[in-house]
Amino acid sequence: MCAKVLLIDDDRDFRTSVKSLLESSGYQVAEADSGHAGLLKVLEYKPHVIVLDIMMESSTEGYGVTYALKYLDEYAEFRGIPVFMVSSIKESPDERFPMSAEVEMIRPDRYLTKPLDIPRFLQLLEKAVASGVATD
Amino acid sequence: MSESAAPEAVVVIDDDYAMRLSCAKIVSKMGLRVEVFEDGARGLEAVAALKPGLVVVDLKMPGISGLEVVSRVHEIDPQIIMVVITGYATIDTAVEAMKSGAYDFLPKPFSPDELRLIVNRGLERRRLALESQRGEVERALLKRTFVTFVSHQLRSPLAAIHQYLDVLQRLDEAGDSPARRREWIGRCLKRTEELQSLIADWLTLARVEGGALLKERVEVDLKSTIVNILENYRAMAAAEDVALEVSLPEGETRVRGDRTCVSVLFDNLITNAIKYNRRGGKVTVSGGFCDGEIVIAVGDTGVGIPEKYRPFLFDEFFRIKDSGVKRTEGTGLGLHISKRIVSEMGGSIEVESQAGIGSTFRVRLPAWREPADDAEMGGWE
Repeated sequence: MCAKVLLIDDDRDFRTSVKSLLESSGYQVAEADSGHAGLLKVLEYKPHVIVLDIMMESSTEGYGVTYALKYLDEYAEFRGIPVFMVSSIKESPDERFPMSAEVEMIRPDRYLTKPLDIPRFLQLLEKAVASGVATD
Repeated sequence: MSESAAPEAVVVIDDDYAMRLSCAKIVSKMGLRVEVFEDGARGLEAVAALKPGLVVVDLKMPGISGLEVVSRVHEIDPQIIMVVITGYATIDTAVEAMKSGAYDFLPKPFSPDELRLIVNRGLERRRLALESQRGEVERALLKRTFVTFVSHQLRSPLAAIHQYLDVLQRLDEAGDSPARRREWIGRCLKRTEELQSLIADWLTLARVEGGALLKERVEVDLKSTIVNILENYRAMAAAEDVALEVSLPEGETRVRGDRTCVSVLFDNLITNAIKYNRRGGKVTVSGGFCDGEIVIAVGDTGVGIPEKYRPFLFDEFFRIKDSGVKRTEGTGLGLHISKRIVSEMGGSIEVESQAGIGSTFRVRLPAWREPADDAEMGGWE
């Protein structure tokens, strides 16, 4: 099976390189350049994993996506989808957004820093896809 | 820093008619607004409404005591300076009033000079306190924005470049296509340029904020500065199919400032006018001497700036992301820097814009005066 990854990031260069990386590793990849576009894409593309930049235009945009995935009815089927949160800041999200209810959604091993550590990223991705498929 | 704002108000609360009258006379002669009240209740009402800079209050009054007025005024606004008037018998109370926050006290009888002195000192202290409070708020905000944005703005391009190189190295082992390689190297160069202009903008900002303009103030002719800048951008404008027009009078566009900063200011406005233009459009730089100021207008024929964004246009890192508005490369610092430069030079900048017709940025700067003019005004020899 060919796992589908959705990249949500407003930096097109970051999307370009990561897309090539993932495709060369056998994944299917779709892109979205904003949180809003990403959410629409989720419904249409039905990815197995989401890689989400949490520091897009506004600092809340990334969290808007996780919020929708967790609470909105139309996203019910994606509630358990593995989401990798990516940021260029080495700081854990609960430090930056201590009040954010979505923090609990982020597993520490799914919080990544840009630039991605490629071997580790691919390994985590593989595990996440396997666990996602297992719970399907 | 607006010295020309309305004069500070002073409220005098004293039950003694003669005292009220003479205080009012002395204070209003100082060029301050003054209101007098004969008891604490009315006085406090006025303080709440007027928000004066300073309150003079007699300690011994029927009704609400002066001491209570002091503490109640500070509940209204702790930055209001309180001066208490006291008879010789109530020095102890005056000390108590000072302990509860009054700035100083005047023992009766006092001379007009004594009152003037204490009011001036009090207002000066208030000014300093307000300024440092503003400064602190500004610094705190700046620090926070700085941390967030340095992280984001500097790291994003760096991370993108790093990721390209890293993936490229990996794909190389698997035999990568030369076309992709060329494209990615091109993008890396673009992002490196982006980083460089961001750093350059930051240095300019630091230079402006560090007060470089105050140190180096020389005569700068705006016309030749602007003509030079336009010359530099002729090729860029031609590539965008934008015409450049300049109409400035000869010899009447001199200001006092730092050459680099003045160049940065008009460089920003002119490149914006080219970038945010339409094909076949034009950039017009016009203006001249007007009422002691040099007024320069930089106009474009772009889509215009939606009204809702105009208040934020000069903010740090503000960029319009709107459908219909051209997406261009930029640091989001250009107009912020321009505004800082203009205000450091004692001028102003404003924007007019009409949808579909274009935008005009109008800069006003104090005109250059020969040093002899300063001497006449009692400055120096």
